[in-house]
Amino acid sequence: MDCRPGDEMLLAAVAERDMGAFRTLYERHAGWLAIRLARRCNDRDLVADAIQDTFVAVWQRPQGFRGDGDIAAWLWGIAIRRLVSRLRARSSVAAVFEKAEAAPAAEDQVLLSVDYGDVGQALARLSPEMRAVIQAVVLDGLSAREAAQLLRVPVSSVKTRLYRAKAHLRAALAEGPS
Amino acid sequence: MTGWHLDDDALRRYVERTDSLAEGASVEQHLLSCEQCRGRVNPAVDVIDLAAVWGRTRDTVEVPRPSVFERLLRAAGLPAHDARLVAVASAFRGGWLVSVVAVLGFAALAAAVGHARGMWLFLAVAPIVPCLVVASSYDPWLDPALEPELVTPYPMLRLILLRTIAVLALALPAVLLFGLVVHGEAPFAWLLPAVGFVAVVLAASTWVSPLRAAIAVSTVWLAVVWLLAARSGSPDAVLQARAQAGFLALAAASFGIFLVRRRWLHQLRPWR
Amino acid sequence: MVTASISLRDVGRTFGATRALAGIGLDLKPGVIGLLGPNGAGKTTLLRLLATALPPTQGQVSVLGLDPQVPAERTGIRRQLGYLPQEIGFPRGFTAFAFVDYIALLKEWTEPAARHAEVRRVLGLVGLPDLGPKRIRAMSGGQRRRVALAQALLGSPLVLILDEPTTGVDPEQRVTLRTVLAEIARTSIVVLSTHQTEDVAALCERVIVLDRGRIRYDGPVTDLVGQAAGRVWLADEPDPAAKVSWRTGTGRYRNVGTRLRDDVEHVEPSLEDAYLLLRGGSAENEPAGEAAS
Repeated sequence: MDCRPGDEMLLAAVAERDMGAFRTLYERHAGWLAIRLARRCNDRDLVADAIQDTFVAVWQRPQGFRGDGDIAAWLWGIAIRRLVSRLRARSSVAAVFEKAEAAPAAEDQVLLSVDYGDVGQALARLSPEMRAVIQAVVLDGLSAREAAQLLRVPVSSVKTRLYRAKAHLRAALAEGPS
Repeated sequence: MTGWHLDDDALRRYVERTDSLAEGASVEQHLLSCEQCRGRVNPAVDVIDLAAVWGRTRDTVEVPRPSVFERLLRAAGLPAHDARLVAVASAFRGGWLVSVVAVLGFAALAAAVGHARGMWLFLAVAPIVPCLVVASSYDPWLDPALEPELVTPYPMLRLILLRTIAVLALALPAVLLFGLVVHGEAPFAWLLPAVGFVAVVLAASTWVSPLRAAIAVSTVWLAVVWLLAARSGSPDAVLQARAQAGFLALAAASFGIFLVRRRWLHQLRPWR
Repeated sequence: MVTASISLRDVGRTFGATRALAGIGLDLKPGVIGLLGPNGAGKTTLLRLLATALPPTQGQVSVLGLDPQVPAERTGIRRQLGYLPQEIGFPRGFTAFAFVDYIALLKEWTEPAARHAEVRRVLGLVGLPDLGPKRIRAMSGGQRRRVALAQALLGSPLVLILDEPTTGVDPEQRVTLRTVLAEIARTSIVVLSTHQTEDVAALCERVIVLDRGRIRYDGPVTDLVGQAAGRVWLADEPDPAAKVSWRTGTGRYRNVGTRLRDDVEHVEPSLEDAYLLLRGGSAENEPAGEAAS
């Protein structure tokens, strides 16, 4: 019987210093993590370094995962923060690009089941700066300071834009479909 | 987990980044909890070279990192290869070095505080510390992998000498420094005995195990110091020119014997 | 490429008053050679001699055409030598990778990338490819033995000396190791000592039996087994006429004896039977005045 080990079992094996389990974990997750990071940062080398840092961090502290939620979410948390660290260490600016079209907005819960209705349109109407902030803080779960490092703007800007974005969205949603 | 999965179109748009941020957010949220769709995304990754990153990750995790001591040796000009061989001896692991420094420090403190008695303590301890560390850097009891090490092409003599030099490079300045604290006038006086004992241990290790030799030398020295302390009040007897010349002669003769008998280093001896 | 060869001429080794080896004459060519003998027979001493870890007190040793007593030639031998001692200790805190890497350094693998690849290769050969970063102290006995074996395999040496390589290793892994060793033995001389006669039977074409420092038998395994033909039989009770007999798993007694007998239930002899027969015989002919080591 082919028993495919779950991520939690792999993590337990990693804690026992099993390279095979570690490699499997990498093969399962490095790909989608890299794609997701690349959507926040143009610089491929930086993304590669961040992925490396992420998995090294997993190896060094596999017990950091408390068993709450998906391992994938835990990995993403590590990955985005490693990316931010790398960005902070770099003196030259790494471009962070935003989408041309639609816009993010609204509170967390609503975003999870977006389907291009009211919310999608409300998102689309926000400015790119506001969208970027919403993505960083609301979607990626970064703190205001981390978002500031990712976007290369002052922390105060992050807070202002977030406040304004949420205000816009509330207004847009209250208005109803246009 | 529901049976709902992303359709190919949505995934493609996500990977190609032609989707909207809202769509992307939806995909990303789904991926966090769906192993199957993650598996569909992975083959499409071309943003980084996954295999190359894996290689670097594996190296970071598996290949032993150079210790501080090793990096110091490299900075001092030793080739990376030799630096690693020297630094890897048990004697040079962090804990060991710390305890050596602690012992010396304690002795120096005793000397500085307790005056005459303290000086005797320092006189007793300082010269034997280097030879004990040298002995432990290649003794089979402490270096349990001796047999396979022995039958490698790397010359044992070179290894022992490099480790000895490394120890001396660390220990002698330490002894000197503490000597300054204790007996400001003749800090170098402690050095020749220390070097002498190291040479004796090297020579003796061509007959017996280095650690045994070092312990024997240390015991003899402690006995001598005790006798001197009982007889006269001042440790300066040791520091006189005649005594110093004696230590120098001892060092030279021992080292000579060591070189003459060096072939005994390259094979197992009865004490093994 | 010259064929690997080892030759010993009237070699002896004494430790003080004890004579560990005497009158050893051997010619070894590529293949797997098994070394059998009771504890104290001198197996470890002989292996150390072959591995250039010890010089003989009499006689001549020649490995790969070189003389281990000449320092430059000894280094030349050691470049082509892998050795697994009977007991090996590991420096504290070392991982498997770190330890094998360390020995690789001593074997002159100066270039890091090549060295790391070689370390991974030998760890893979012994079945531990995924345990590189694991601390040796945290491993089982069989795993540690395999790490120790891995260092001997570095560089695919022409001479491989293994002192009890399969001690503590589970049967599955022993089979893997046999395959690895058989492959190496195509061009290399592999000498291994073991207490497991089935390892010798499965792997070696030639076997040397040592007893009290002398060679009792040196030849093909099949011939040795042949010596026990007709001399092994089963019975319901231990047979007093047998040299050795013991109870097997089926409840019957396996007997091994020197006298050929017709009136009993004969079975095919195994190497173990032949070895016991040989040992049983020599116990009767103990030479006087030779201290055992």
